[in-house]
Amino acid sequence: MSATAAIRKALAPERVDLGVRIGPLALRNPVLTASGTFGYGDEYAHVVDLRVLGGVVTKTVTVEPRAGNPPPRIAETGAGMLNSIGLENVGLARFRTEKLPRLRALHATVIASLGGETSEELETLVGTLGGESGIGAFEINFSCPNVAAGGARYWAEPARLEATLRRLRARTRLPLIAKLSPDVTDIRDTARACEAGGADALTCVNTFVGMAIDLEYMSSRLGRATGGVSGPAIKPLALARCHEAAHAVGIPVIGSGGIASGRDALEFIAAGAAAVQVGTVTFTEPGAAVRVVEEMRAWLAAHGIARVADLQGSFAASAAQPDPVRA
Amino acid sequence: MTATFERTWRQTDAIVRAQRDYGAGFRWLEIDVPAEFTAPVAGQFVQLLLPAPAAVLLPRPMSVAGVRRRSRGRTLEFLYAPVGAGTQVLAQLQPGTHLNLTGPLGRGYPLHEPGTPVLVAGGRGVAPLLMAVDELARQKRPSTLLFGARTKSLLAGLNDARERLKARGGRLHLATDDGSRGVRGNVMDLLDALAPKLPAPIVIHACGPHGMLGALARWGIANGVRAHLAMESVMACGTGVCRGCPLPRSTEARTRVLATGDGGSPLLGNPEWAMCCTDGPVFEARELDWDRVA
Repeated sequence: MSATAAIRKALAPERVDLGVRIGPLALRNPVLTASGTFGYGDEYAHVVDLRVLGGVVTKTVTVEPRAGNPPPRIAETGAGMLNSIGLENVGLARFRTEKLPRLRALHATVIASLGGETSEELETLVGTLGGESGIGAFEINFSCPNVAAGGARYWAEPARLEATLRRLRARTRLPLIAKLSPDVTDIRDTARACEAGGADALTCVNTFVGMAIDLEYMSSRLGRATGGVSGPAIKPLALARCHEAAHAVGIPVIGSGGIASGRDALEFIAAGAAAVQVGTVTFTEPGAAVRVVEEMRAWLAAHGIARVADLQGSFAASAAQPDPVRA
Repeated sequence: MTATFERTWRQTDAIVRAQRDYGAGFRWLEIDVPAEFTAPVAGQFVQLLLPAPAAVLLPRPMSVAGVRRRSRGRTLEFLYAPVGAGTQVLAQLQPGTHLNLTGPLGRGYPLHEPGTPVLVAGGRGVAPLLMAVDELARQKRPSTLLFGARTKSLLAGLNDARERLKARGGRLHLATDDGSRGVRGNVMDLLDALAPKLPAPIVIHACGPHGMLGALARWGIANGVRAHLAMESVMACGTGVCRGCPLPRSTEARTRVLATGDGGSPLLGNPEWAMCCTDGPVFEARELDWDRVA
């Protein structure tokens, strides 16, 4: 039970200030859609008012179109799912000419997710899209588990992350958000490297590498041997990585991994995140991100917390609950 | 194919109206939805999300077997087999239980297409074709239904199919692998025997195991007959967003997508893969590469 809850008087929900800052980017609230779970933003626009979200992170865009991985691409697992999509996307040219204009028309805060097999590809993407109106920030996908080249393992090298972000930093004034893989020995190393390279923020975390085997056929339940695990199953894992990263760097961290409710989101904020992303739950409930905003607002109001930013990092380890990340 | 693709699906609260045993392990399920829920057409599907906390995370895509209008709203009908964790929970739901429904999703059968419609069902694949019988009857066109299964007990809801066809003025032809009902053989044998006797051109609308649909596709391509085949896939979202349900496009379709930049998909137009959920689930035979369909 929160110490603040006992002494503060409840507020009217509309009095709660949900605004947050991600570096230079001001968001009306801390709830973003996670890349790959909301298309290019307009697919759900007839059922979700994008203007009530903090922002929309697009499906990852690469320089050339990608057809994606062979099926099966989805396997349900305990309290979660595995995916092996393989960065299927329309490519830079069509994103720019077809998807961006539609997103602009919806008046959403757009964060374009970019993926590359090399620093040069990412530079091309940032350079080409940097001049387009309607993009509020770039999220660099350094952590796709489902591609043969330029995936999570390639980008798990701190020196490579730092050098790449330096080059991207020189190409754009838009905020750069580095999305990190949880599958590293110590996420503080990759987090600090991104900060040193000039990232404005981090997203922690992408999916966890996972497997599922069909024993009868002795084959993977996906088209590839491994995929990325998402959903409620990874929330405690993601929360720990997010907490660890948030205390290792001075830049904002965006929490991601299994968030399906306002309480889930506030746990990440309490652990140190400045904002959150809602992902897999959108597949079962397209309007989930909007619900998360309202649930956060209601919880904060009931606990008399006037600004969501006041809750950020509230979780403090104690002697009774030692916290290795601050040791 | 169209740039102005209109999305009509919604997510809505729904209530189990009735559920009954349909023989041989099959279940018949009726769910009430509000009037705002767009009426599905035959071949479309809905995503059925179990009440929380549920044994499974993802919604279950399920083909619609019938739509009935009520004074307020509609009743959707489904035929399914409780074979997995999700459908086994579904089979236990009592009338009055609330669940969550997203739809109608995907593209259904083009039942307005001119010609003699021939409906072909394998096992519980009969579900959307029962609905097709109703739609064709509304168009004042009689249905011919070819219905096959391994054995007679797996001719799911045979009595209902027979009654519907009788009431709507259609013909029913049966085949079982073991000869326990109808012709000994499969629906291809029925089709070979029947096709020459029907007014040309015939148009096939089918649902069943992918092996059966592949045989129908090859037959349709070889005989210059259009065949519309309802496919299945594991899905996550069902709405085209997650890109989780790819089916291999034919060379012809791939060439067209590359040339036009639009494969009929309102979302992406991927030349290699069509998405079962939004490009389908009903595909004309020439759209897919049947040698690579799993």
